[in-house]
Order: sequence, then C-alpha cells, then structure tokens
Amino acid sequence: MKILGHLVWAAIAVAAAFCLGGIALSRGEHINSIWLVVAAACTYATGYRFYARFIAARVMTLNDQRATPAERLRNGHDFEPTNKWIVFGHHFAAIAGPGPLVGPVLAAQFGYLPGTLWIIIGAVFGGAVQDFVILFASMRRDGKSLGQMAREEIGKIGGFTALLTVLLIMVILLAVVALVVVNALRGSAWGAFTIAATMPIALFMGVYLRYWRPGKVLECSAIGFVLVMSSIFAGRAVAESASLAPVFTLSAMTIAFSIIVYGFLASSLPVWLLLAPRDYLSTFVKLGVVLMLGVGILFVRPELQLPAFTRFVDGTGPIFAGKVFPFCFITIACGAISGFHSLISSGTTPKMIAKESHAFPVGYGSMLLESFVAIMAMVASCVLQPGVYFAVNSPAGVVGATPAAAVATISGWGFPVSVADMSSLARDVGEQTLFSRTGGAPSLALGMAHIFARGGGGQAVIGFWYHFAIMFEALFILTIIDAGTRVGRFMLQDLLGHISAPLGRTSWMPGVIGTSACIVAAWGYFLVQGVRDPLGGINSLWPIFGISNQLLAGIALCVATTILLKMHGAKYMWITCVPLAWLMTVTFTAAWQKIFSPLPALGFLAQADKLEASLSTVTASNLAATQTLIFNARLDAVVCGVFMVLVATILLDSIRVWIGILRGTREAPVREAPFVLSQLRAEEL
Amino acid sequence: MKRLGKLVWALLRELADENAYQRHLEVHGRAHSGEEWRRFSEERLRAKYARAKCC
Repeated sequence: MKILGHLVWAAIAVAAAFCLGGIALSRGEHINSIWLVVAAACTYATGYRFYARFIAARVMTLNDQRATPAERLRNGHDFEPTNKWIVFGHHFAAIAGPGPLVGPVLAAQFGYLPGTLWIIIGAVFGGAVQDFVILFASMRRDGKSLGQMAREEIGKIGGFTALLTVLLIMVILLAVVALVVVNALRGSAWGAFTIAATMPIALFMGVYLRYWRPGKVLECSAIGFVLVMSSIFAGRAVAESASLAPVFTLSAMTIAFSIIVYGFLASSLPVWLLLAPRDYLSTFVKLGVVLMLGVGILFVRPELQLPAFTRFVDGTGPIFAGKVFPFCFITIACGAISGFHSLISSGTTPKMIAKESHAFPVGYGSMLLESFVAIMAMVASCVLQPGVYFAVNSPAGVVGATPAAAVATISGWGFPVSVADMSSLARDVGEQTLFSRTGGAPSLALGMAHIFARGGGGQAVIGFWYHFAIMFEALFILTIIDAGTRVGRFMLQDLLGHISAPLGRTSWMPGVIGTSACIVAAWGYFLVQGVRDPLGGINSLWPIFGISNQLLAGIALCVATTILLKMHGAKYMWITCVPLAWLMTVTFTAAWQKIFSPLPALGFLAQADKLEASLSTVTASNLAATQTLIFNARLDAVVCGVFMVLVATILLDSIRVWIGILRGTREAPVREAPFVLSQLRAEEL
Repeated sequence: MKRLGKLVWALLRELADENAYQRHLEVHGRAHSGEEWRRFSEERLRAKYARAKCC
C-alpha cells in the first residue's frame, strides 16, 4: 500500500514537471488551457503533500493535543472550534478578492508564461507559506493580529509602521479597485443599470433581514440573488430603450463621483442597512462564480490564443510600462503572494481553528485554491484573440483615440484586429464600444462569457454572461470599497484617538463623519487622478498597489522569520527568508524604477519633468489640467517612496533583532500561549 | 454525497452567520426573536467590519 502511495505521488510530481515543461517550452502554436490547469493542480498537490507537510511537522510541530484558542477562549462568538472544511471555506471566502482575478489579466500583456509560472511557484513557496506561518503564529498567540505580533516580536517601531502601512495600502487599494469598476461601467447603460439596481436590492435585503425575517440570511440572500439576476435581464431592456439608455450611459467621471458618494454613505450608514446584506450576497455569488469558472474551463478546455511571451516583456507594454522583471511579480500579487492575506490569517481564522493540524489545509490549502483562481483568470484572459485583448486593455492615450487608429497600432504590433471585429463583439455583449476598457474587468468578463457561452447557449447568450461577469466583479469590488472605507475610518480614528479622545470614539457622529470623509477623500483623490490620467490610470495606480501589497507581505515575512528564528535558531529561517529576499528585491526594484526611471511612461518623476517641459506649449485651457498631472505624478513618486521607507524601517529593525538573537546578545522568548491539554471531542466538530 | 451536501450547507450557514447566531442563542440560553437577532447582528457586524477586507 505504501509503495502504491509512493508511485501515485511520483506520478503526480512527474505530471507537474511534464506540464510545467510543456507550457514553458511550447512555442509558436496554441496550447490548450488544460496544460495550465494540470500543471497548477499537480504542482499544488506536490507542494502541499511534501513541502507544507514538512513545515507542519518539522518546523511548526503542530500538535493536536494542544488546545487552540478556539477551545480555550471559546465564547460562542469569535472563538469557536469549527469543522476544518467550514473554516477552510470561510478563510478562502475572506482572502478571495478581485486581486487574483485582475492581476493575471493585466500581466497577460507579457504572454501567458511569466504570469503562470509566478502564480504557481510564488504560491507554493511564498504566498501559501506566508499565510500558513502567520496563521500558525497567531493561533499559538491567542489569535493576535499581525500588528500586535509585529510589536511584540520585533518592537514598537515595527508595530506602528505596520499599522501606518496598512492604512496607506487601504487607500491605494480602494482607489485602484474603484477605478476597475469605473472603467468597466463607463458608457455601459446595461452594466450601470445592473450595478445601480444592486443598491435598492441591498437596502431591501437589509430591511427584510432586520425586520421581516430576522436571522434568515440564506433565504434573504437567495431572494437578493434572484433580484440581481432579474436586474441583468432588465439591464438589456434599459440599454435598448431610447429613453432610458441615455440616463444610464455615464461618463467615467460621473461614475467615479457616484462611487465616492456611495463609499461615504455606505461607511456612515448603519452596517445592517447596506453593507452587510451586500456582503452576504457578494460572498455567495463569488464562491458560486469561481466554482462555475472552474467547471467551465474543465468542460470547455479552451485553447489559449495569447502567445507564451509577447514583445512587451521588454517593458514597452501598453497596459502598464515596465519589463517582465520586476513588474510581472508585482502586478500579480494576490494570486501568488499577498500581504493582505496575513491580516486575515491573523484575524478571524485563528479563532476558529479547532485542532492545530487544521491550520495546514486552512492556511496553506486556501492559498493554493486562491492561486488556482488566478490561473483560471489567466486562462480566461488568454482565450481572447490577442488583438481583442490589447484593444480592450490598452488606453486611448497609447493606441489612439479612434477605433481606426487603435486597430492600426495594435495590428502593427503583430496582433491583427479589425474595427469590424470589435464592433461585432461589442454588439454581441450589448456595449457601444469595447475599445480602451482598461482595468482588466471587461476583458476578464469577455473571457468568462466566452467560456460560459461555449458551455451552452453560444453567441446568443454571450451578452448575458458578459454582464453577469461584470455584475459579479463590481458587486464584490463595491463591497470591498464600503467595508474598506469603514475599516480605514476605524484605523484613522484609532490613530486620532491618541490626539483627541472624542475622535477615537466610533459612536461620536462628528468624528465618524469627519474620519469617513477623510478616508473617502484620500482614495477618491487617487481615483479621480486615475480617471483623468491620459494613460488610463491603471498604468500608475496598479503598480503602486502591487508594490504596497507585496511590501505588506514583506512585513508579514519579517514577523514570520523572527518567530521561526526564536523557535529554532537559524535552522529553518530560510523558509520565510528566501521569499522575503525575493519580494524585497522585486518590490524595491519596481518602486525605484517607478520613481526614478528616466522613461516618462515608467518613472513618475520623468513623467512630471516631461509634462513640465510641455507647459510652454499647452493651451491655456489645458494648463490647469497639465499642472494637476504634474502634481499627481510627483505625489505618486512620494507615495512609492513612503512605502519603501516604511518597509525598509521594519526590515532593518527586524535584521537588528535577528542579528541580536543569532549572536546571543538579545533575549529571544517565544511568546506562545502556555500549553493546555485539549479536551475537545471529535463529535463536537 | 449526503455528507458533502451537509458540509456545504453548514459552510453556507457559517458564511451567513446563521450558525454563529445559533451558538449565540445556546450560549446565552435565549430564544430566537427579532430583538435578539438585532442584538446579535449588531455586535457581530461591528466586529466583522472593523477588520480589513482582502483584495
């Protein structure tokens, strides 16, 4: 039996190597998406079985005899021992956001290969390790947060810097995801109506749940889902109506300001009224769509149309500037390694783990599933014809403002596409145009619609599936915006509470409104900047977001390394040090290039200088706009610089601590909660 | 198959906070009512939305 097991695992490892080799070496012909799926699944399985198990057994020495905080501090609320697969689903639902969907779509400008390899290898050796170690560390410390662990394990500087970094990242994250929604909905009466309809639907659900059928969340969410699906059908009628279509055909700036107002209201209104019902619905829709996409890819097995590499690995890409190294590795963050996950792994999840061994599938396994979602997003974007992919994702400022100019530019790159092709596709999905719909969401929706429609219904239903996908993306992005604004407000109140006590009180209305306005103004500013940006906004904002998210992962890995060092000395610190070293190299290189590159398309300061040089030639009407662009470019450079300084501070502080521990000049207490024998019975789970 | 179905149902109830509400009633020895749900959900949601949401 044991030999059979060895043979099965050897076969899985060989299949992983064979498929990875196959996709890496294939050139000049289309490959089937199943290669990517098998390569990913077999590599994950091998990593899970051998590498993660090694970490669990040798490094963490997970012990089911040891009572977890869920058992010791059980209170029926946060701390509750829960079935491991329920915690797995809960944790996955919490870590899965738009990042693993949008990042791979944007990184596909380099071709499918760099992004795919980074998603698979990054997750196995980086992202899943980070999530697993932080979950383990938090579980052994009564569910403490990353900030608390940073303060205790590294020092006060580390703790404060972590809090400030998270607050800044929230601002950039909210701006960039809002920009994705703006670009998906601008000029789309169908999409704008569908998303607008989700607001009254959420309000209805909130009232239904609070007063009519209290506690019936699943029932209420099912009704909400039916209503949202109906709104997609109604959206088509609105888009075809001569009187209603103009009302819902909105400019990018109108949508941006609508989202800003929405974010402010949603973070100030009672949670039960808008945020919570939308969040319940969005969670179920998200899990359902991810499952549908997985089944769809396996059922349809589409061929990838994009090549393994495109000419844009040299840094001249139209979607965002910068070479494949380092920019592929910061564009795809959440699918490979995401700092944000460390906040979830040190949040609710450690308080639900019933047995220590459950941290293994929950921490490591959930990240592998998230990575698989990123692979599916990569497949969905690469099933589009390359010409269509670049026509949708390239900003007008790069390819030209007219359809004729855009197709000429894109065809000139060697990716043929015609105005007729694009018009026909736009007509099929009920849009006026699909040119320059930057941000990743529209092209992902096109790819998903393509896969779903091939699964049944064909071209006749592609419009429905396109808008279903847009609804799915916008629904949970808007949930992130309202929840994120609220969280940002709490963080700001926490900081301001040290200056003035009333400002720190979450029940003091002037404080609530003032701090909500501050957070909304902060991300709203970057959103408007992105909308005004002639290069589409994604070119500047997504890299800043990627850099900041990866730097947060750097902070988490600093904490994780410190903890491993205290547990075992230098013996196992390579487990977190290797991904940390890689992340620091990638993010500092990217941040440096974004600030100081002499190329105006890439470097913020060079862009500002170029615009400043053009001031003498711009017309009076464009003068103010150009000055704003100059200010924005310099502001982006400052933001990047601040992130670098914050993370360098934590890194240097950590290295100081590590050297002290290794030399024996510093005490290295392992601050775990004391061992208590578990009394939990199997039937309790 | 039945076990899988039960697990999926339990997961959906967990994500919907319905399991947590049930536990809340058991821990405090209270019966379900509109007032009780509102008390529970306010506390639950306040804690839930004080934490960062993932990207």
